[in-house]
Parts: sequence; C-alpha cells; structure tokens
Amino acid sequence: MSEYDVINSRLSRLDTPDKATGRALFIDDISFSNMLYGAILQSPLPHAGIINIDTSAAEKLPGVKAVITAKDVGTVKYGVSPARYDETLFCQDKVRYVGDEIAAVAAVDQATAQEAVSLIKVDYEELPAVLSVEEALAEGAPQLHAEYPGNYTAQVHQEFGDVKAGFEICDLIKSSTFVNKRQDAAFIEPPGCVAVFDLHGALTLYSSTQVPHYVQRTVAMVTGLPVGKVRVLKPYVGGGFGIKASANANELAACFLSMKTGRPVKMNLSREQVFKLCRARHQFLHKMTTGVKKDGTLVSLEHECYLDGGAYSSFGIATVYYAGSLLGGPYKLQNMKYDGYRVYNNKPPCGAQRGHGGVAARAAWEQQLDMIAEELGMDPFDLRLKNMMQAGDVTCNDLNMSSLGMEECLQTVQDGSEWKKKKGRLPKGKGIGMACGFFVSGAGYPIYRSDTYHCTAIVKLAEDGGLAQVYTASAEIGQGSDTAFGMIAAEALGVPLSDVRVMSGDTDMGVDLGAYSSRQTLMTGHAVKEAAEDVKHQVLEVLSKELSVPVQDMSIKKGRVVFHRQEPDFSELRTRYIKEHRGWTDNPKDEPLTFREASRIAYLARGSIVGTGKYKPHELGGKYKGAAVGTSPAYGCSAQVVEVEVDLETGQIRIEKMTDAHDCGLAINKTSVEGQMEGSLSMGLGEAMFEEVKFDARGRVINADLAEYKIPTAVDMPPIETIVVESNEPNGPFGAKEVGEGAIMPTIPAILNAVYDAVGVRIFELPLTPERIYTAVQDYHERQKAS
Amino acid sequence: MLLPKFEYDEPRSIEEACETLRTFGETVKPLAGGTDLMVNMKKGVVRPSRVLSLKKLKTCNRIEKLDATIRIGACTLVAELIQNQVIADTLPALQAGAKALGSPLIRNLATIGGNICSARPAADLPPALLVYGARVVLHSQQGPRTVLLKDFFKGPGQTVLRGDELLTAIELDRPPANSGAGYLNLGIRKVQDIDIINGAAYLALNPRDGTIEKVRVALGAVAPTPIRASLAEQALQGQKPSQDLFVQAGQAAQQDCTPITDFRGGAAYRKAMTSVLVRRVLETALKQIEK
Ligand SMILES: Cc1cc2nc3c(=O)[nH]c(=O)nc-3n(C[C@H](O)[C@H](O)[C@H](O)COP(=O)(O)OP(=O)(O)OC[C@H]3O[C@@H](n4cnc5c(N)ncnc54)[C@H](O)[C@@H]3O)c2cc1C
Repeated sequence: MSEYDVINSRLSRLDTPDKATGRALFIDDISFSNMLYGAILQSPLPHAGIINIDTSAAEKLPGVKAVITAKDVGTVKYGVSPARYDETLFCQDKVRYVGDEIAAVAAVDQATAQEAVSLIKVDYEELPAVLSVEEALAEGAPQLHAEYPGNYTAQVHQEFGDVKAGFEICDLIKSSTFVNKRQDAAFIEPPGCVAVFDLHGALTLYSSTQVPHYVQRTVAMVTGLPVGKVRVLKPYVGGGFGIKASANANELAACFLSMKTGRPVKMNLSREQVFKLCRARHQFLHKMTTGVKKDGTLVSLEHECYLDGGAYSSFGIATVYYAGSLLGGPYKLQNMKYDGYRVYNNKPPCGAQRGHGGVAARAAWEQQLDMIAEELGMDPFDLRLKNMMQAGDVTCNDLNMSSLGMEECLQTVQDGSEWKKKKGRLPKGKGIGMACGFFVSGAGYPIYRSDTYHCTAIVKLAEDGGLAQVYTASAEIGQGSDTAFGMIAAEALGVPLSDVRVMSGDTDMGVDLGAYSSRQTLMTGHAVKEAAEDVKHQVLEVLSKELSVPVQDMSIKKGRVVFHRQEPDFSELRTRYIKEHRGWTDNPKDEPLTFREASRIAYLARGSIVGTGKYKPHELGGKYKGAAVGTSPAYGCSAQVVEVEVDLETGQIRIEKMTDAHDCGLAINKTSVEGQMEGSLSMGLGEAMFEEVKFDARGRVINADLAEYKIPTAVDMPPIETIVVESNEPNGPFGAKEVGEGAIMPTIPAILNAVYDAVGVRIFELPLTPERIYTAVQDYHERQKAS
Repeated sequence: MLLPKFEYDEPRSIEEACETLRTFGETVKPLAGGTDLMVNMKKGVVRPSRVLSLKKLKTCNRIEKLDATIRIGACTLVAELIQNQVIADTLPALQAGAKALGSPLIRNLATIGGNICSARPAADLPPALLVYGARVVLHSQQGPRTVLLKDFFKGPGQTVLRGDELLTAIELDRPPANSGAGYLNLGIRKVQDIDIINGAAYLALNPRDGTIEKVRVALGAVAPTPIRASLAEQALQGQKPSQDLFVQAGQAAQQDCTPITDFRGGAAYRKAMTSVLVRRVLETALKQIEK
C-alpha cells in the first residue's frame, strides 16, 4: 500500500471525458468571427537566390486581405538557441531548402489564400545544392550560411579522462559505424495556430505548441512587441515529440498577418508541410571504438558523430552535444572522447525528437557492447551489471545519478522475459536481445541563457472554500501532465483530486519552459507542490489563530483537517460556515472539520488565499564547454528485452514481445508512466523497423504522407510488458523523475541485438526493412562461401 | 491541400451514367469510393471538371451467385468482399486480397471496381482476380462488352477502358471442386502497406491422377501492370504438385517479371522475392484443395 492518498496510484486522467466524447478543443476547433485564413509560400527549390518577388497578382485577387514578405516583416534572426539564431521568418535573398518560407497571405477563406499563394511570382537564380553531409563537407562545396563557414552549424570536441592511455590497458578494442535515418515524429495533429491582434495593441496566439513560453519570447522578439503584450495559449495538443518545442514560421506569419489586418488569422500546416517543417530527429552517423578489459570492465570510448542537419540550426547545437554527452552513463566509464559535427545542407532542418540526440548514439553503442560481450563470452546482462552505475555515482562528464534503479531494471526485465531460459537456446530465425539507456529529467538550463525560474505555479483556493485551482504555464500535450500536477497539488494540499481544478498552457499563468527534455513532472511538479504547500500553510495559520492550536499540530488529509493532538472545539467555526450557507443541503454536520470549512474561514480572515511555487535546478556539475547539455537534476533509466522472429527467406522481422523496465522515481500516476513507456517503445520500434524520410535528387521529400512514411500500426505492436521501477529521487517532487524519453533509449539496440541473435549478422543501418535484412544475410553467406 | 471545384452528378442508372460520360468525355471522372480519386484530385494529379458518382447505381453493388459464374458488381465495397459468404466459400484468394487492402476505414469506402480501374501495379485485388480468370464488363451507350481482366491493364494507371465506358461488373467462373487458390503479399509493415510484391495462384488438379490440370499464377508490383506469370505456369502445367516443383515454378517466375527499383524497394530484391512468394502461394493453393 502506498503511503500517499492521491499520487502513486492509477487515477483516471482529467482530460479523459473531454477527449473520449470529442469535446476537447484542439487548435482547429478554435474560430473567431471575422477570422481570416493564412497560407505560406514555400520554396520549390533546395538552394536559390531570390531575384525578385512580385506579389501584385496575389494582392489583386478578391478576398485577399494581406500579403507579406521579408520587406514587410523585416529580417530579425531567430531560432532555438541564441547561440545560433540563423533563420529569418521570410527569406530575403536566398532560399535554402524546399519548403523555406518566402511570403504569406491572409484571405477570407483557405481556398483563396492558397490560390493567392500560387499567384506570387518569384524569380530565382538556382544555386548548386548540397543534400548530404558528404556533399556539404566536400572541398569547394556551396555554402549555406556566410556566418557559419564550412557548412558546420557546430562542432564539439570533448575529452574526459585519457582515452588513449585507456586503450593501452585494454584487452579488447572494438570499432563499428552506425547510421539511422531522418525521422518524422508523425504526431496526429499537424501544427496550427490562430493569431488575434486586438484593439489595445496586444497579441494573443493560440497555438498547437509544446512551449508557450519560448513561443511568446520568440514572437515578441521577431515582431518587436513587448513580451507583456504577447500572450500564448495552448489548447489541447495532439502530440509534439519535440517538433513543436520551438516557435515556427507559421506562428510568426500568423502574428504578422493579424497585426497587419487587425483580424484573427488562422494558419494550419498540412501533413505535407509537416515533412517540410521537419525539426524532427536527425540522421546521425556514429563511429565508435570501445576498449574493455578481459573481465568486461569498460575503459575507453572514442566517438565521432556527424549530424545531417538540414538548412538551419533549430535545436541542432544542443543535439550535437547530447549525441556525445548521453553516453556518459549508465555505465562506469572513466575515459570518453567525443568529436561531433552538425552539418548544414539544403534539406529541411532537423531538430529535437523524443530521446533528443541520444537515440542513435545509444543504439550504436549498445549494439557494440553486445558485440563485445559476445567476443568476451559474457552474457550481455552480465557485461552491463559489471559496469553499471549506482545511485550517487557521477559520470566522467559530470552527470550526477542522484537516483538510479538500473540494477532493478536489469533484473526485472531479465526475469520478466525469461532471458536465461531463452538466450542461446532459440531455434534459428528466432532471437532475443537486450539493451539499457538513461535520459535527463529536464534540461538543467533554459534554452536562452538566463537566471529565470524554469517554472512558476499558483494555487488559489476558491473563495467559497473547498476547491483548489492550480495555474501553471506548463504544456499538457497528451502526456498527462495536467493530471500529474492536479495529483501533486491534491496530495500536497491534502484533498482529493476531485477538489482540484487544473489550468495550464497560458503564458498569463506564469513562466514554464514547457514540455521538452522530460522536464515537467520533476520541475513543474516541484513548483506546484510548493504552491500547494503554501496555501495549506496559510489555511492552517488562520485555523491556528482561530482555534489556538499550533500550526505544526495540524494538517489536512483527504479533505479533512487532522489534529495531531487533542481535537479542539471547532463548533464556532462550523456554525459560522453553516450560517453563510443557509439553504445548502450538504452542510457539514457531525464529521471532522472539513477543508471546505477551513478554506472558507481562511478567506474570511485574509481575503483570497493564493500560494505560489517556483523551481529551478540547484547548481549542477560540469564546468567544461557544453556542460549545460546533459546535466540535469535527475536521470531516469531503463532496460529492455526484445524477442523477434525473422523470416530468413524474405528478411521480414516480426517483433514477438517486448519487456521494458523503467525507473521513473516515484510514479505519480502509474497508468501514465506505462503509457509513456508503451509510446516510447512504439516510436522506437518504428524508427528501428520502418521509418525514413526520403528525398529525390532535387531535395524534395518523396514520402511526405503517412501512407508512404510508415509508422507502426496497432497490428505491428507486439505484446508489451511494462515494469515500473520506483527509486526515490532526492531532487524530484515526492521522489518523481522522467519517463517520457528515457524509455525509448534501449528500444532500437534491443531490437538490433535480437535480430543479430536470430540471423547471425550484424546490421549497422536503419531501418531494418525486409530488403536490408535479406541483403545483409545474402551478402554474409556470399562472403562465407568466398572465404 | 484542398479539393478543387468541380461539377457533381449522381446518375440513377447505368444508362444515365453512360450518357453523361458520352456528353462530357475526358473532362468527367467516375467516382466510386474516392479513396484513390480524391487523393489524386487534392494533389492536382487529375483535374476533372465533372465527377460522376456511382453511389446511386443500385445494380452495381451486388454479389450474385449464378449457375456457373459469380458476378460481382463494380461498386461492391472491399469490406463486403471480406464479409460475403459466397466470396469466402468460393473465392478465398479474393477474400485474402481484400483483407490485405488498406485499413478498415479504407475498406469501408474502397470498391473492387475502383481498385481495378485505378490500375496500380501493386493493387491488392487484381492478382487473385487474374488467377480466377476474371472478366470485366464494360458498359457504354452502345451496351456492354466483356474483356478478360488479363487484357484490361495497359500500364500504370492505364487500361483499355474508353472514356465513355464504365466498369459495371466482374464475372468469374465458379472454381471446380478439385481446385484451390491463394493470395500473399509482402510489405514493410504488417498492414496498411503498399506492397513490395504480391501474388496469387490457382491450381485445379486432375481428380484421377492428381496432376495439375489448370494453373494460373499472377504477380503484382513486379511489372508495369499486374501480370500472369506464364513461365511459372508452363513449369507447373500437367505436373504432379510437389515441393520441388513449386521451387522450380518460383524460379521460373523470376523470368516473368521486370521489376524496377524505386524508393519502396529494389529490383533485385523484388525479383528474389518472386520465387519465395510464388512457391508459398502455390503451397497455399494446394492446401486449399486438400482442405
Ligand atoms: C490510405 C490508403 C491506403 C490504401 N491501401 C491500399 C492497399 O493496401 N491496396 C490497394 O490495392 N489499394 C490501396 N489503396 C488505394 C485504393 O484505396 C484502392 O485502390 C481502392 O480499391 C480504390 O477504390 P475506390 O472505390 O475508392 O476508387 P475511386 O478512388 O473512386 O476510383 C479510382 C479510379 O477508378 C475510376 N473508377 C472507379 N470506379 C469505376 C468504374 N466502375 N468504372 C470506371 N472507372 C471507375 C475512377 O474514376 C478513378 O480514376 C489505398 C488508398 C489509401 C488512401
């Protein structure tokens, strides 16, 4: 039994009734009278100079209310990290990818807006394009950005310990190269927004975003409006996975169009435009060399990585750091060298996606560890257990594992999958594989340099008593954060969840950096807990005065005031409460003093009872360049076992079963934790097996829809066993930490290792299509025959 | 992507429909389930100025079991092909093809006629129809004409259907007692896929000596149209079914196909899979007989 009344349970989500009945409002449900529709002109060429833009025909089209280009909106540079602001809303002198934004139109309906866009005439001077890392880095390659020569967005060169010296004492040194493919996050809801510029010169932007706060700042910066005049609101959001974690051109264009026309402007992206916007997972090329001792002790890792970045930075500078730093754990490794290169080219820009920067690196390394275990004659579990970190350990790059249930994760998946019975005993064509991983529980620093709190929270008690209203600017995007914060507030205040109302996703409610880097449960959770404790204390202070009982001798539990010593006579308070509610049929009678009465009495004494909370991480480790990417107040970790069957004649893989254990600290809502685990597994499975954004020779996406870009269907998902491992995270609210991204880390390598176990051939490239497996197996047999 | 503007007709009889086709010629497109047409119209790949809905053509969505034949109305839903008992009992390979097509949402809209007329090389229904020796009934103002399905396809999206004609029905001979057929497809994921290769086989055995009396093998996604694999058929004709024979037939089928490499798959892989698929689908057909 849990010691808690609300959290650590399986309460149903606050948004369930609305979503199940279709009442939940998403961005496209929001409309205003007099609203205009916007559309964007995007470049059809991957790289070209703009000679002239002629908007006259578009402007003349009946129904068109505004046409804007760089001439109208200026060329303020923006992006994700201020260290790499390299985008302007509209291109002025050149376009850098098929999809680069050139102009936008607002018209009375969508058809007119789209027709107007097609009437804008742009004269281009085509420039040679580079469509891959190799082309972009070749000598004399066309350059994308004058400010970033060599087509490098960013380079990272780090060494912790002494890798070379480490290799000298190793008994086995293993090298391999691995490449994944560019992803699309394939959320159900394409991004969209409605911008409303009002008569007081203030702008309200409703947007399908993960980060109202960052959008607010970017909109203010680019439009020149004071931050206080920009309000960003997020309705329900149909998934984000990192792609909606920054302001996009669509949002900025809608704001400018609304400012110009004085009318609300709605702008939605089509599915095809989602592929052009991209900002999803990069293609990573990893070259790794790991050295170990005979007994399996990991000694040194040398790592080089190239990121196929696309035309702009987006999150890329953080991505290239994460791709290195997230290999620091969860194993004890003294020596680690990393050289990372994030490279521009003329494709849509990549950014952050679930497991930011770390997913392909993890896949490459966990596969290499499997190769090492095999060569040493060790069970893959034993190799991990031998090197595993414990709670309190710090990685060579200064990540502090303040809690780490790695051992329990390993043990439970080993048992849960019956590994020992199966490993090495499966018939040909069947295989079993495992892997581990870990992830940050919130980036340690905001994306812009600042001493800002990462989140603030307000809990206000309804003046009539009995209800707590929780306000945060956090982003519920389908993951269940509103429910988690409602539960945290209820627990901290001592009332049932039904006495809490949660409001979020509005920059007017405070500061919250939003839903990315798996930060909200830990960070916003802290702020909410603090705010709830604050109001509770205020209520108890009033009671203390009224009843002459010291505050520390009272608490609130399950909606009742609990007196730790003798119960005082509170009949006078009750009488007052009942007097104010004459005619009410549900007034308290014989029961103990209720929260409803107490909060009313507190209001009568002090006016509105408002509590506030805030959070920012304590000082985190790492003084070296780039330490800000990877350091976090806490880390979640996981282990997975995957079983597969491979059709050796066709190369088709059937995933038969996945067993997953994740340490999320204390689970606030167990069902939500499992939901994140299952979602991570299906996303990882898709990346491993099917997904790849493909381009033609002109830089155009050729599979920009969900028929040709294949994500797993329900039928492709195997039975999943999720095991929630609960450590107690000292830096988390009630001991809680992340699950949203860490759970995806082991999925791809566990599949790779299982496939190897089934077919006897290592595959170093994703996705694992039947053709790739078939060809690899054929090639292997040919080589065997030849030698 | 929005649909462009177009005129819309909902004729109540085949005659009325054919008259519209005749009057408006190339500018009009028949609309069945729209799962292919609407997508292409949104993309601007086809731009009819008039759309002729087949929804109200009552006689076109029936499945009839006649003495020697089965007649399937062109507007029969793919979902209906799965549920219908006549199809399940007599044309199991067609049912298998229907099950492999799209998702439940698509199958509830998509029609057999639309699947044939869109003439996609990888479509899921033609291989089974080809091995059952299907004939298509094409209707114009002059009346109906019947064409063998194997002569119907001319290239990707190309058929012998004239601009003034409508496909109204598909006719198949009822397979004899000692026959069986199967359909298999291979894609990247388990469902909702555009096949890398698909195929069907039909076998009728001589009841006296068990030799193969009649055989048809068809393949999709390995040529510009769904094709009959005649070399594979020759290898099988008159022979006694066996594992070795099916392997040989699979190898022969490689010479029947001319696959291309595109972003969905390589030609070499498609060719290699032809053998596997043909062998397996022959095994399925044989099992049908033994059942
Ligand atoms: C998400 C998705 C998944 C899909 N998956 C598959 C799949 O797995 N396998 C597969 O084979 N297909 C698939 N398709 C394609 C399509 O759904 C099928 O080909 C379907 O059978 C088309 O039928 P329809 O009735 O919708 O045709 P429509 O779109 O109505 O018509 C298709 C074409 O045929 C013409 N036409 C239709 N009926 C007649 C008629 N009676 N006479 C003359 N011309 C006619 C139309 O003018 C049009 O040119 C998929 C489509 C989508 C959108």
